[in-house]
Amino acid sequence: MSTTLLLARRNMARNRVRLLASVGGVALALSLTLALDAIYAGVANQLTTYIERAGADVWVAQQGVRNLHMVASSLPETVVDAVGLVDGVAAVTPIIEATDTISAGDVRAVAYVIGLPVGGSMGDPWDIVEGSAQVGPGEIIVDRGFAAEAGVRVGDMVGVLGGEARIVGLSKGMASLINSVAFVSFDDFRAMRGGAPVISFVLVRVAPGASPEAVATAIERLVPGVTAQSRTDFVAQERRIVTDMSADVISIMSAVGFVVALAVVALTVYVATLARRREFGVLKALGARNRTLYRVVLVQATLSVAVGFVIGLAFTTGLALVLGRTDLNLELAITSASLVKVGLFAAIIAGLAAILPIRQVARVDPAVVFRRRAPA
Amino acid sequence: MTALTLDVRDVTKRFGDGETGVFAVRGVSLAVEPGEVVLIMGPSGSGKTTLLSMMGALLKPTAGSIHLDGSEISALSEGRLPDIRLRQFGFIFQDFNLLSALSVLENVAIVAELAGLNGRAARDKATALLRGLGLAERLDFLPEKLSGGEKQRVAIARALINDPTLILADEPTANLDSKIGHEIMRLLRTIAKDQGRSVVIVSHDQRIRDIADRVLWLEDGAFKDIVTMATDPVCGMAVERERAVSAVRDGETFFFCSRGCREEYLGGLRSGSARIGRGLAGWSRLPAVVLRSAQARMTTSTDSASRSRSRLGRFRNS
Repeated sequence: MSTTLLLARRNMARNRVRLLASVGGVALALSLTLALDAIYAGVANQLTTYIERAGADVWVAQQGVRNLHMVASSLPETVVDAVGLVDGVAAVTPIIEATDTISAGDVRAVAYVIGLPVGGSMGDPWDIVEGSAQVGPGEIIVDRGFAAEAGVRVGDMVGVLGGEARIVGLSKGMASLINSVAFVSFDDFRAMRGGAPVISFVLVRVAPGASPEAVATAIERLVPGVTAQSRTDFVAQERRIVTDMSADVISIMSAVGFVVALAVVALTVYVATLARRREFGVLKALGARNRTLYRVVLVQATLSVAVGFVIGLAFTTGLALVLGRTDLNLELAITSASLVKVGLFAAIIAGLAAILPIRQVARVDPAVVFRRRAPA
Repeated sequence: MTALTLDVRDVTKRFGDGETGVFAVRGVSLAVEPGEVVLIMGPSGSGKTTLLSMMGALLKPTAGSIHLDGSEISALSEGRLPDIRLRQFGFIFQDFNLLSALSVLENVAIVAELAGLNGRAARDKATALLRGLGLAERLDFLPEKLSGGEKQRVAIARALINDPTLILADEPTANLDSKIGHEIMRLLRTIAKDQGRSVVIVSHDQRIRDIADRVLWLEDGAFKDIVTMATDPVCGMAVERERAVSAVRDGETFFFCSRGCREEYLGGLRSGSARIGRGLAGWSRLPAVVLRSAQARMTTSTDSASRSRSRLGRFRNS
């Protein structure tokens, strides 16, 4: 292997422009796929942050409702007590949730508005950068990103749910590329929606030692008209929305990245092989077997792709770090699944890119060594 | 009887079929003994390179057989030939054919590694060889940084690294100046005599005749009888003295391809504007001994005196 590795490395390093084009092209193409994956994974993370950080082990919704976003759940208020009586339930907190628009001046932003009851033990915002974490009548907690964009501060009024509320706190870490999360009081929310005694979800904390899945099953069995899911299941359902929404886009962009990377590597390895056609002939004449030379080409393609992959990954990671330090509500999450997928892409690209050059090497006649070079 | 290193038996190579087919080599036979230096000369297109390619297992003969150390290599499958080329042959080329991306040391060591030697041992062996050839200071140089003579010495080291039985050299001095070319020639002869390796050289270079044990003339794909060659001083064509038109001037005889060239030469002398030297004027004063096609098997002694007389080759033409 050392012979093939040496030749492949030296052949690559000999022409730095070609190496740069090859590795750069692969890096760029794979970065495209990695970054897109990371953006959607980031969006999924952001969308599920509230579910994961609200403190509930089990989420109880209207029967058939398995998501927080893009659906509406409506439960009679009496469900709260019924859920609280189920074995294994330690605490319950009802919340009301709706997708709405928060406005301040000309700025309008989509937000998931959560109505929190006074004294609830779950569902509160967990990272307040300014002001209060508790909302009373006529008050609201908004995302700091929205506040910055709209030019409002604690104490200013914003429009929400057809009325107005005073900002008492600014939160962070709950906004996504799509929307932010705002918190109002439970009573205000209900009043603004006509005062009907309904809630959206019941947040459940299970007793120590109890299994969330078992408690969820028990709730569904004992309380009619509800769907109960453990936090893990609820998060998985929520992520599925993002996956379903993004699958086509990711597939198309991945295919574009794949084709671009394949074309770049195939072309550069092909040109590199063409340029060294005579030297491959010399090696054949000296006794190198075809399979040895095929390995040289394959290692060359693999090295180009591997270096390109590492650079692409470094670039995407750097981009994620930089974005994380800005006020943009954009998170790039590089997942292991994405790394495996793009890594497999890269391996397939290397293999495919080597096919043409290998066919070329196979056709090289070792007797080429006796042909004179054209005079320079 | 000495065991032969190389035994070429009645070998023919034909390219193409039917009426368009061309015979590059016709029924050539040649036997090379261990430690012998054989020089094959001939005009361009005479089949020298085709013959060398067949001897080096790079090309299969259409008919006949080639034996190396008693084994018929021309009958081996393609899959077995790389091993033969790797371990039994050492190739030296006119263009050196060093791998441009590898250093001097790597160019030599890689061939040993291909033969199965591990990296360290291959490098040690290559280093020793290169030191022996005076390249100790050039081990890490790329080929592009070397002179022609140095490149050819690297190529010789590469040819020797796997201890081959036979060294095949294609115009080894063609890209070298006279002094370096002479050094390379002496080196090849030393390798043959000191290490007992056979050396077959294909060349146009008359200077190599000095180091060869035998000189063979290949023309139209077949070995020819020995004749004495000279160069027409007007057109540069190689001509057989015995058949050429001649003229004597200042006690020296000149040979011409035709009466026209002779008249032009003599007329030029009279008018003082002869195109003497249009061809290889210098070479015209160096008579060459070559072979005319023959059926007989001839043998010559390899001592220096007899070499300088004629160096007739052992060959068999069908």
